[in-house]
Amino acid sequence: MAKQNPPRLAQDKLAFLLSLVPYLMDHDRVSVVDAAAHFGVPPEQIRDAVRLIGVSGIPGETATYQHGDLFDIAWDTFEETDEIVLTNLVAIDESPRFSAREAAALIAGLQYLSSLPEHADREAIASLSSKLSRGASAAPSSVGVEASETDATLALIRMSVEKGVRFEFGYLNSQGQGERRVVDPLRIESIDADWYLRGWDHGREAVRTFRLDRMSDPAMTTKPITHEARDVPLPDALFEGSADDLIVTIDIAAAALPLIADYVPDDTVSSEHDGIVRTTVRVSHYHGLKRLIARMPGVATVIEPAEARAVVQEWAAAGAARYLDPTAPVPARREAK
Amino acid sequence: MAQAGAGSRIPAEERLFSLVLALLATDAGLTKTDILSTVQGYRQKFSRSGDNANLERQFERDKDDIRDLGVPLETVDSPGHAGDNHNLRYRIPRGAYELPTDIRFSPEETTLLNLAAMVWREGSLSAESRRAILKLRSLGVTTTEPVVGYAPRVRVRESAFDPLGTALERRQVVRFGYLKPGESEAQTRTVEPLALVQHQGRWHLFANDPETSTTRTFLLRRIVTQVATLPATFEPPAPGQADIALTELEAVWNSNTAVVEVEPGTDAATRLEKRRGSSTSAPGTLNLHYSDLNIFADELAGYGPEALVVSPPELRDAVRSRLERTAADHG
Repeated sequence: MAKQNPPRLAQDKLAFLLSLVPYLMDHDRVSVVDAAAHFGVPPEQIRDAVRLIGVSGIPGETATYQHGDLFDIAWDTFEETDEIVLTNLVAIDESPRFSAREAAALIAGLQYLSSLPEHADREAIASLSSKLSRGASAAPSSVGVEASETDATLALIRMSVEKGVRFEFGYLNSQGQGERRVVDPLRIESIDADWYLRGWDHGREAVRTFRLDRMSDPAMTTKPITHEARDVPLPDALFEGSADDLIVTIDIAAAALPLIADYVPDDTVSSEHDGIVRTTVRVSHYHGLKRLIARMPGVATVIEPAEARAVVQEWAAAGAARYLDPTAPVPARREAK
Repeated sequence: MAQAGAGSRIPAEERLFSLVLALLATDAGLTKTDILSTVQGYRQKFSRSGDNANLERQFERDKDDIRDLGVPLETVDSPGHAGDNHNLRYRIPRGAYELPTDIRFSPEETTLLNLAAMVWREGSLSAESRRAILKLRSLGVTTTEPVVGYAPRVRVRESAFDPLGTALERRQVVRFGYLKPGESEAQTRTVEPLALVQHQGRWHLFANDPETSTTRTFLLRRIVTQVATLPATFEPPAPGQADIALTELEAVWNSNTAVVEVEPGTDAATRLEKRRGSSTSAPGTLNLHYSDLNIFADELAGYGPEALVVSPPELRDAVRSRLERTAADHG
């Protein structure tokens, strides 16, 4: 699980303080290191928070923050053995409720993940969602995500990991050539409705990313894996550029720019004129580019190199020709009502 | 973010924390003057005789920040001063603040919730899901490691999402320009937002049109202007609006059927066969469902000669004209 970044805003720090106090109350004595591991933060962040909690409290009857109105900790223990022991408590008894948006985010996230093999049954999800609703300080706002469709491939990958064996499948590369790939599965990722497998590819001897919907005839092998997830560092970006990538200049409607953001190199300088952005995209092959561009008719146009333009032109023209050529095998029209 | 004034040595988080503690500890509530004159972080800057306008503005911002975290900061009238704004009292009712003791999560549930939060690690809801996880960890439950590492992600790239989400929560009427495909000019829509839902990887706004009292669904990517939030508010809708919206989108998706021929062994054949709800009526001929003709036509055009639309005719025409357009633009 990814480590969290230390909270920067005062609001985040407040949420941290309000969460840390009940945790410390439940643990009579806990080491800074253990608390840091539990919250996934650096130990120093725990120490800072404890130092603040130790001098905080309520104005009290005299409105002057007398000793008994403040939290207190065993300061000697804290300084000498790096352990936290709360010795006086004020105001806080329990963990805080979720905000409406926090609960909504978790509920929508659960909904999205409800088709994962991990989710034994939908009833468990429903009861978890209703617990979150009851645990929110206001009705969760209405955010919903369609349950992402995952097919049997995902369950098969999971089984391969459990058994520690390689996973193999037929795969079309972006040039349209099919081949059998054998991988050690490392991580399953998704972006919206699309699912990906990142794995150690034995044929390529490198980490590769595969779209689940491009796999055919997936199967477990009996060969043990040689690379485990914990040993292989995976970069955050799903697709990484390579030195062999082709750089293509395109014009694209400004509004459509987010749709190709993954393909635009970080150091690209774009210019905008009349709502059209001229920018560059990085592709491993023109055969991938033609599919990308043909999905954005009238929205994106390849400017250069000429070879890339020609590949896109041929692709689209060949597609259009199928609707014209009387010899093309167009069957009798069947209406699906 | 509200910062303490220059020269102050009390960090903002200490002031906010002290405010929450003070308001949790009071049943009767504290007046604004009580707060500004006694609570740590305010009292240092409070002037008994002078002008506390800056400090009062600070307090207003702090209230918003605290409420944002889901802390139910409420106001009550002072006894004998009903309706008198100068004597409003502030407090945080314990029952509405604390997570009820019967709501606890098992290690398995905690693992699932961690994964659910991870879905939002990019963009709009990332701060919310991060804080939700802090609160979950507050309960001290340790998680179980899933067999396979997952990194699920739902993206929000449309700039309309944030203002719509806020308006949704505050039940405020919104106005925006909406550009339908095939139209050259955006139409201005004024609606009551009911839910934000993602279906088939695309974000939609489900909203009520107050003029006709009918609900409509808008694709966020077709909102072409900034979303303006109007002062008008509306009554809270019945719960479950997101489910209603998803059910409607699913019904539309189900009723739209296309017949597409795919060349065996191509990318189109592999991916379209795996599309949800896809069925094969003859070798190489697929029956497919779709939500939106224009979006599906874009997708099919990407397959070039690998896919040929048989029906419906509007989809056939749409794909064909797209391919012709792309060919012409690159000629």
